[in-house]
Amino acid sequence: MTTTPPDGAPAGHGTDAAWRPRARRATAWSSLAAVILALGAAAIAWSWRDQLPDRVASHWSGSGAPDGFMAPMTFALVAVATTVVLCALFAAIGLFAGASASTRRIAAAGCVWSGGFLAATTLGTLAPQRGLADPSQVELGGSTLLLTLLVPLAPAVLAALLVPGDPSTPATESVPGDAPRAVVRDGERAVWLQRTTGGTGLAVGVVAVLGTAVLAITTGEPTMLVVPAVLALTFVAMFAFTVRVDATGLTVRSTAGWPGTHVPADEVVRASVARVSPLREFGGWGWRIARDGRVGVVLRAGEALLVERTGGRSFTVTVDDAATAAALLNTMADRARGQGVARG
Amino acid sequence: MMWRIDPASDEPLYAQLVTQVRLAVAHGELRPGERLPAARELATSLDLNMHTVLRAYQVLRDDGTVELRRGRGAVVAAAPWPDLAAVERAVADLATAARRAGLSPETTTTLVKEAMSR
Repeated sequence: MTTTPPDGAPAGHGTDAAWRPRARRATAWSSLAAVILALGAAAIAWSWRDQLPDRVASHWSGSGAPDGFMAPMTFALVAVATTVVLCALFAAIGLFAGASASTRRIAAAGCVWSGGFLAATTLGTLAPQRGLADPSQVELGGSTLLLTLLVPLAPAVLAALLVPGDPSTPATESVPGDAPRAVVRDGERAVWLQRTTGGTGLAVGVVAVLGTAVLAITTGEPTMLVVPAVLALTFVAMFAFTVRVDATGLTVRSTAGWPGTHVPADEVVRASVARVSPLREFGGWGWRIARDGRVGVVLRAGEALLVERTGGRSFTVTVDDAATAAALLNTMADRARGQGVARG
Repeated sequence: MMWRIDPASDEPLYAQLVTQVRLAVAHGELRPGERLPAARELATSLDLNMHTVLRAYQVLRDDGTVELRRGRGAVVAAAPWPDLAAVERAVADLATAARRAGLSPETTTTLVKEAMSR
């Protein structure tokens, strides 16, 4: 499997495949951690085998009595199998698209969260059924559901923090001569600042928040209002970013302070203007990872700043006036290589 | 928008920022209600003292270009901005004429200042 460079990118930059061992390491230990979490929960379930009824309640539709039953160990093993399937998905993302550290972090966190979620589901479902002869009236409390979703966030965040960042890999070649440059005199300092906000993605977000809120209220599980609350926080973080190009390079940061990223000027291979189709190229809006590993802050269709970076990485951000940003970033990349060409 | 600082210029650093904001507003690049960058961010990126940026924002507030709001920073004021098209045409003509006459930018600026103070 080779990465497909974005249109017009040179085919190789020497270190293009250097991320693969890092991706394999992150995938291996995060998958292992997830499976250990799920197996640990299964082991605890097994230790409860004498206290659990032959068939435990395993499925609820809305609040009230359960509508699905199975043997307790089958339930625990289904959770382990589901963990393996979800981790395989995240492993595929990490192994095939993990050129950027942020992608490897998301994949590792997703995998560990899945393992934690299924472990919590196993324990949260089985624990209240210990010592019961008849599981048909067992109710699943909203607070249990809530903890099942939230508790695994702790190991997931830890996993993301444990994935090492990309090592500094300055470009060895100069920025191509045909890339646009800004008219900045030698010694003159310059910064380009622009805010970018969501369009369609924001509308999708509002619908999702309202939908889950209505669902939480109509199913009589007000504690599940935490789902739209978490979604709302996510959308606040994901749909307004400031984009800055200065002597240090490109900085894109959510106006909420997180998430954000920085592309050092000496790692910029080339900056250019691109036209982006969020759904087709990135599968949605927000902080996105394309199938070929391109990372993007994609808030709307149209004009975007595309930065090709060393190590086969690329970063896209949809923003107005991208031409000015691209030209200034190329000029700053020249300067970072000690090639401040006097122009203008 | 793009912000520049030329430390080699005779114009004070804060005045360079003031000029850029006035021009950006006049050209519609900055619209009423739009927020200027946080002083700290601009200062860091341009390697300036934050007080230099704050001084520029003060000057812009005093002349009514921006409003300084607690918690929201500097926001472009809703004042009606004059149409600069005619002035820009005249300036372009002036620049052409000055070049033809072999005048330096400094001399030309002096002439403009003199004309304005009449």
